[in-house]
This record gives sequence, C-alpha cells and structure tokens, in this order.
Amino acid sequence: MIQKLWSGIKEALGIYILPTLSADELQRLFTTKYRCFRELLTANNNALEAMSELETALRDGRTFSMTFIRSKSTVVTVNIFKMIQNLRKMGDGRYLNLEKSFSRIQEQIDAVIDKEIIPVEGDWFIPITRVNRSMVEQTGEKMANLGEAGSLSGINIPPGFAVTASASRLFYLENNMYPAINRIFQQTDAHDIEDMLRRSEEVQQLIINSPLPAELERQLCYQFDQLLEMTDHDVKVAARSSALGEDLGRASFAGLYHTELFVDRDHLIQAYKTVLASKYSTRAMTYRLAKGYRHEDIIMCVGCLAMIEATVSGICYSRSIGGRIGTLDVFFSAGSAKGIVDGTKKTNHYTVERMAPHRIVDKALDADDAGAPLSDQQAVELAQISMKLERHFGSPQDIEWSIDPTGTIYVLQSRPISVHLLAAGAEEGVIFEDDRLLLHGGVTGCPGAGSGPVFIVRTNEDMVQFPKKAVLVVEHPLPEWAPLLKRAAALVAETGSEAGHLATISREFGLPSLLSLDQATHKLVNGETITVDAANRAVYRGRIEELLEQQGKRPNPMDGSPVQQTLTEVLKLITPLNLTDPASPYFRAALCETMHDLTRFCHEKSVIEMFDFGKRYHFAQGAAKRLVDNMPLEWWVINLSDGFAPEFDPVNKFINVTEVVSTPMIAIWQGMHAYPWEGPPSVSMRGMGAIFLQSTMNPGLDPAVASNMNQKNYFLVSRNYCNLSVRLGYHYAMIEAFISSLRTERYVTFRFKGGAADESRRVGRIELLAEILARFDFRVELTGDALNARVEKRKQSFLFGRLKVLGYLIIHTRQIDMVMADPQQCQRYRQKFIQEIEEMLSNDK
Amino acid sequence: MTNERAFKLEAALKIHLLLVDDEPDFKEIILKRLTRMGIQLSLADCCAAALETLETQPVDVIIMDVSMPGLDGIQCLKKVKERWPLVEVIILTGHASVKSGIEGMQGGAFDYCLKPIDVLELLEKVELAAQKALLNKENAKA
Repeated sequence: MIQKLWSGIKEALGIYILPTLSADELQRLFTTKYRCFRELLTANNNALEAMSELETALRDGRTFSMTFIRSKSTVVTVNIFKMIQNLRKMGDGRYLNLEKSFSRIQEQIDAVIDKEIIPVEGDWFIPITRVNRSMVEQTGEKMANLGEAGSLSGINIPPGFAVTASASRLFYLENNMYPAINRIFQQTDAHDIEDMLRRSEEVQQLIINSPLPAELERQLCYQFDQLLEMTDHDVKVAARSSALGEDLGRASFAGLYHTELFVDRDHLIQAYKTVLASKYSTRAMTYRLAKGYRHEDIIMCVGCLAMIEATVSGICYSRSIGGRIGTLDVFFSAGSAKGIVDGTKKTNHYTVERMAPHRIVDKALDADDAGAPLSDQQAVELAQISMKLERHFGSPQDIEWSIDPTGTIYVLQSRPISVHLLAAGAEEGVIFEDDRLLLHGGVTGCPGAGSGPVFIVRTNEDMVQFPKKAVLVVEHPLPEWAPLLKRAAALVAETGSEAGHLATISREFGLPSLLSLDQATHKLVNGETITVDAANRAVYRGRIEELLEQQGKRPNPMDGSPVQQTLTEVLKLITPLNLTDPASPYFRAALCETMHDLTRFCHEKSVIEMFDFGKRYHFAQGAAKRLVDNMPLEWWVINLSDGFAPEFDPVNKFINVTEVVSTPMIAIWQGMHAYPWEGPPSVSMRGMGAIFLQSTMNPGLDPAVASNMNQKNYFLVSRNYCNLSVRLGYHYAMIEAFISSLRTERYVTFRFKGGAADESRRVGRIELLAEILARFDFRVELTGDALNARVEKRKQSFLFGRLKVLGYLIIHTRQIDMVMADPQQCQRYRQKFIQEIEEMLSNDK
Repeated sequence: MTNERAFKLEAALKIHLLLVDDEPDFKEIILKRLTRMGIQLSLADCCAAALETLETQPVDVIIMDVSMPGLDGIQCLKKVKERWPLVEVIILTGHASVKSGIEGMQGGAFDYCLKPIDVLELLEKVELAAQKALLNKENAKA
C-alpha cells in the first residue's frame, strides 16, 4: 500500500528511478525503445497524411462522403493513439496526461461524426388532412408541405394518408436490415458506377423481399380500405416518396426516388416497399454523395394519395426559372405530369405575371399539342395558387398539379425552388453562324458552355462506360442519368424542358444543359469533340475557347451541406496546431487541444527520449559522437540502431562521416556539401542594425542560450532514418526522414523557424524557402515565421533527392534574412538557389 | 520503371500468419495473394476456430475481422492477447468508425486496416507486425 502510494507520488512529481541494467539489458532496452520510436514515427506519418487528405478534401471542392470522413478520422485517431502508447513505453510510463487529452478530443470527434439519431416514435399513419409542417419528423418533407398546403383555403389536395417514419423504422428494425445494408455498402466504391449499380440493386432487393411486420401490413390495408370508403369509386393511389432529413431549400432531390402510380389494394405492400427501397437507388445514393447528405440521416416516409384522373397536369414555378422578372412559369401537357418531370413528353409553357390579375405574357405551345387543354382562366387560377403557396411558405415554390375532368385543380406537391436559372448565370451571347455550328435550337436547362467528346447514353451499360468530362447526350433526360451529371462536361437531350427533374439537377450542379434539341442523338457522333453553348442553344464542332473562357467556376454542390459541415467541425478538432514552440511553458500534454497538437507533442518528446537515452542510462552506444569534418560548425551524431558501420567502436567519441551508414543522413550531408557556402551576404548598416536590435530584444535568439538539444547540431540516425536538428546562427531547422522500402515508412519533413532580422525579413526568407520547396514538390504550410514542409510516399530515389535539397538550403539560406529587404539581392539568391538545386539533382551531385 | 509501391518482405517471410474472417471470397483472395508472396498462412472462420489454431500452431501475427459470427473481433482479440501476449493482431474493420478502431487498439491490436482492403497496405502492416512479433520473441528468449 505504502509502496503504491510512494510510486503514485513519484509519478505525480515526475520522479523516475532508473533500474540498474546489464550491458545486454541496456542494449535490449535501447532496441525496444527504438522499435517504439519507429512505430511512433510511422503512426505520425500516417496521421499527418490523413489530416492532409481531410484538409485537401474540404479545400479543393471534390465530392466526399461520411465514409471518407469516418475512415480518415479513424486513421488519424488510431495512429495518434499508437503514438501515445509508444511514447509512454519510451518514457517508462510518463506522459499520463496525454491519454486524458486524447480521450477528451476523441470523444468530441465521436460526437460530431456519430450524431445520435433521435428515435422517431408515434403513429404509423396520419391522414393527409391532419398533416402539417410541424409533423415533418414523422411524415417527411414533401408530405408535410402537401398537408400544410391542403390546409390553406382554396387549395385542394388529393385525399390520402402518410405512412410515417415510425412505420419504416419498425420495418427496418424487425428485419434487422441496418447491419445487413451496412455490410453490403461498406465495401462499395461510391465513385464506381458499376459497383454502385450492383450493390444498390442488392440492397433494394433485400428491402423488397423482407416481410412487413404483420400488424403494420394489416393496418396499411385498413388505411387503404378507409380511403376507399371516403371516396365513391374504386380508388387507386399514387405511392410517393417523402424523405425525412432532406433540406429541400438547397437540394431538390428531384425525381431521385420512386413513385408508383395506380396502385390498388393488392399491390399496396409491394409499392410501399419499392418506394422505401428507392432510398438506395444508384441515382439517389450518388446524388446524396455529390450534395453532401448522410445516408443515415435520410428516413423514407411514403404518401399514399388517391390518383387524380388528370386531363391536364404540370409544374408551376412561382418565380420564373427563366429569370424573366415579375413572371412565373406554368408548364403543362395533357394527362399526368410524369412525362414532363422525366422529360419524355413535349411540354407547353405559359409565362404569367406574378401580380394579379396574372396576365399571360407569353404562350409557347408545343406543335404536337397545339390544342392546349389548359384554359386561360385555369392558368390564372394556377398563378393565384402558386403565389398563395409562395407567400405561405415564404419562398418561391416548385409546384406539381393536376386538373380533373370537373376542372378542379389539385396540388400534388409544393417545394422550394432549389436554384434559379438566372442565379446560374443566364446571359445572351452571339451565335457563330459558320461551319462549326452543328445544331441550333432547343431550350436551355442550365446556361453556360461545356466542351468534351460526345458520349451517347441509352442503357445502364453505356452509363458504366461514361468517361469523365464527356458531353452526355441522351434521347430523354430521365432522372436515372443523374449519377452522370457530376462527371459530365455538358448535357444534351432530344426531349424535355426546364421543368424536368434532370434539368433541375443540372442547374444545382451548374452543368450546362440543352434540352429538346431535335435529332441530337442522330446528328452527334460518339467521340467527336463538341462545344455546347447552352445559354445560346447552340452546339459547335470542336472546342470553342472563347465560349469556354467566359465560364466561371461551377458551384460546389456540397457547399453548406451536412457532410461538409461535419468535416469542418471535425477538422476544428484535428488540424489546428497550437503547440508550436517546444521551449514554451505551454508545450504540455494537458494543453493539447487538437489531434495535431498531440502528434506534435508526441513527436517532439519521442525525439528527446531517444536523444537522452545514452546520457540517461550511461549507454555508450546511444551517446552522441562528434563528427570529424572540416566544416566550422560542430556536428554530433547519435546512433539509434544500425546507423553506424558495424566496425565502428561505440566507445569512440568521434566519428568520420564514412563510418555513418544512414542513407538519409548521407543524402542530407551530400546536399550540404554540394556547393561551397559563399559566406554571409553583404549587409547594409540598416540590415545589421535590425539584427542587433532583435538580438538584444529576444534572448531566445542568442545561439549561446542553451535550450534542450538545440544548442548544437545533432543527427539522430539509423540505417533508414535521420533526424537533424540544426541551430545555425539565429534560426532553428529540423529535417526528419524515414526512407525504407515500406510505403508507410517513406517521408521527408522540414521545419524552420526564426532568424535574427525583424519580422518582415524573417517572413521574407520563409516565403522564399516556401516557394523553392513547393517548386521541388514539398507540401508547405506557413504560420508567421514558421515553416513546415513535407513530402511522403514517393520513390526512395526521389526522397533522397529532396533530402539533398534540404541539406543544400539549410547551408545556403543562412543569414540571408539580413538582405530580404533588398528585392534585387533577394531575386539573385532565388535564381542562384533554384539553378544550383536543379543542377545538383540532375547531376545527382 | 520500378514499381513505386514495390517493397521487399523480410520479417513477414519468417513468421506464421493466421487470417480470421467469415467471408469466403475475401479469404480466398488474401490467401492467394499472400501465399504467392511466400507468406505462410492459415485460415479460420470464427474466433473459436482461431483459438483452436493458436493451440496447435505457432502463430505470430493474426489478421482478424471485427464483425464475425459468435465472438466478434474485439472480444476475440482480448482472448488472444490474454493467452498469447506476444502475438501481434491486425484488426480489419468494414464500417469504419472511430470507436471500433480505438477499441481494437486499446485491446492491444498492433494496427487496423479498413475494408475494402488495399492489399499492399495490408502487406506493409503485416511486415511491420512481423518485425515486432520477431522482436517480441527475441526479448522473451532473453
């Protein structure tokens, strides 16, 4: 008990009494510590690489999924855990606070990534007449909107009921489907359409083939019977998707889920399950990926609405998507609206004033459907309904409607318009009326121009073959082609209108699209490079640079999405580096706030553990040897394992560079000696004054002031590893490299800080260094006058070359901060450095 | 041109590896690839079979899936480490989650690998785990 208490007190005070060990035991201990050090370095490398991938994903506008965030965060976390375990082993159990800091940060990351989904409990069915916006958690977005719309005076909606989130959750849980689905998707490559098609089909079949819980099935049929009683005739329903977790204001989810029409009682169960399963359709999955939605946040609810015997149907946009100010759009055709939204039907288009009395300002009637079944009076009524819905919901609406034989208008759906045509940048330009012009006509789905080889898609097989940056050419703009929009350069379709689902999605992705372009699949030839000017409704042969140059950057569909927000939150806990100065009293385990702080702390301390071993244990093999060299500075080398030639006697206090077999150290040494140093630059009195002033103000800059291992220049080496700490004049530099045949053990890192001149000159030198390093393939980060550069997982010969670059730079950039205020001198150095480095690398000097 | 990712296996050729997974296709692919590289490999479907193999064969490194019928990979790892602390274990996890990764490491796993597997990445981890397992053996002898 007393012993335990005493060891507790010792630990708290940081007192460790070293055991007495034999020479063999010491050697084994040193080897074991070196093994831990190596594992720590590998883990550090893996963690930093994953951090960089997370940061890059957020910055470069690529599409990334929750799986990406999860897997990369796991790589970071697991590797930092490994670093801590290894450092604690190296430090004989010290650094206990690291584990506390780690657990705290890890729990925070966990909370961001695995947000708890609040279980939905409540009724399985709600009559549509009782549904309103407050029930969105139960009925999904679309049914909540529809129920709410139906509560407004003068707006009719079809009778029916919503099958709630509680019902679908019960179905999933009873059949234990979540683990089964995860298992199917866990190995899917979301960017591989073929793989997605296969696995999506597998999951959908799993759902469709699973039985509904008996009571749920009974009640679903009962609801249908109730509907039958309410209506006079042999009712059939439309089973419509209504997903929960969609933000319809920023993403339309247009046409991505299945709608089953004319469903009778016998097919109700099957139809319900088919709509539920469509959450996992390839088009829905790829859309969610591109728009940054988490699959697990989306719960499918279903609306069963009595079918309306439609004489005419269509879509209204309460604010014209063509961008014509003060107007709204009415798209329509005879029969149901299905042909309009999936782009297979030719569509009539009225442009109507938003203000009462809603004058019709333009009528674009399709030639095949000249006897327009929509009266002017009905168009005005539709405009009134549209404006009422816009006012009620507080934003411009995209409304689907049908008119029955009695002339009653039914609203089938009302949702916010996710993106405006005008906002996407419609601008009238010129048509080049020369032999480059291939086709002219059609309607603009999304303005802009794009160029690439033609690729005509008719089947799923074609879809799988679709090359990146090709122009997607289709007969009908069906929603099932949606997975290709993110990779296409432009979209051309023979049919369809602005009101179609694929046109909506093309606007969301900023993809130039041209619809209703007659003969497109016949006149355009696979593989031929074309330029599509969607705004001016023209297709040209070849690349027309003057059209393409005017294109702005496409919007990133992930902007503001839940997945992007998750990554931003996670990165706040991972990447900021607060512990930058090892000499600071704040460089402590307990003060680590991010995963990056933890890696920095562990790395710093692990190097010191290895550095101190020889002295601490009086172990000659681990003690520093002075390098015999004709350079004026002192260089010391510590062998961590197999960095010295076997014949070297460890009792010796000096070593020749020829006795060192550490390949990274040799490369640095070669870089240092490739060209003679031409001495300090000639400095003006003003430059020198700045240095003296800084020296007196900042004692930390005085090279005579001891601070750990920074007072001399040390190489810590093994055959494949080298860590060089340099204190040259007034700055501090660190080069570290591990170069083995294993990919995870191949990296070069460089840190540089300080200098004697004032801040602007120091920063000037850092910027010059950064420019040169970036030119030679380093990934560079700058914070004030501190620089971090890194390159990893490249060929060994490449990395040795990079070490030579660093060896060269630490010698030749000495004291050049003094002349950084002189642009001419600065430029001269820049040219000299680049020229000599290129020469050194090409001559393998 | 040299393969950027080519590397020499050394320690991995000196050890005995056990792969514990219940997916036959996956096991077959790994078996083929690893035996072609010259690695000695045994297979097991579940934790019970893995423990049985450990009783009868000198295993140094285990690759183990987290989700398996019966005892899962994390529970199995604990059993293995209790009885054979010198054996190094690489955990495979499919549905990547911070939790299962950390649980594995806390249970004494050497490393973890995400499914779908990058075979070269797995091989590198096997090589590093093998180096450590050999060092464990050496230290135990001394």
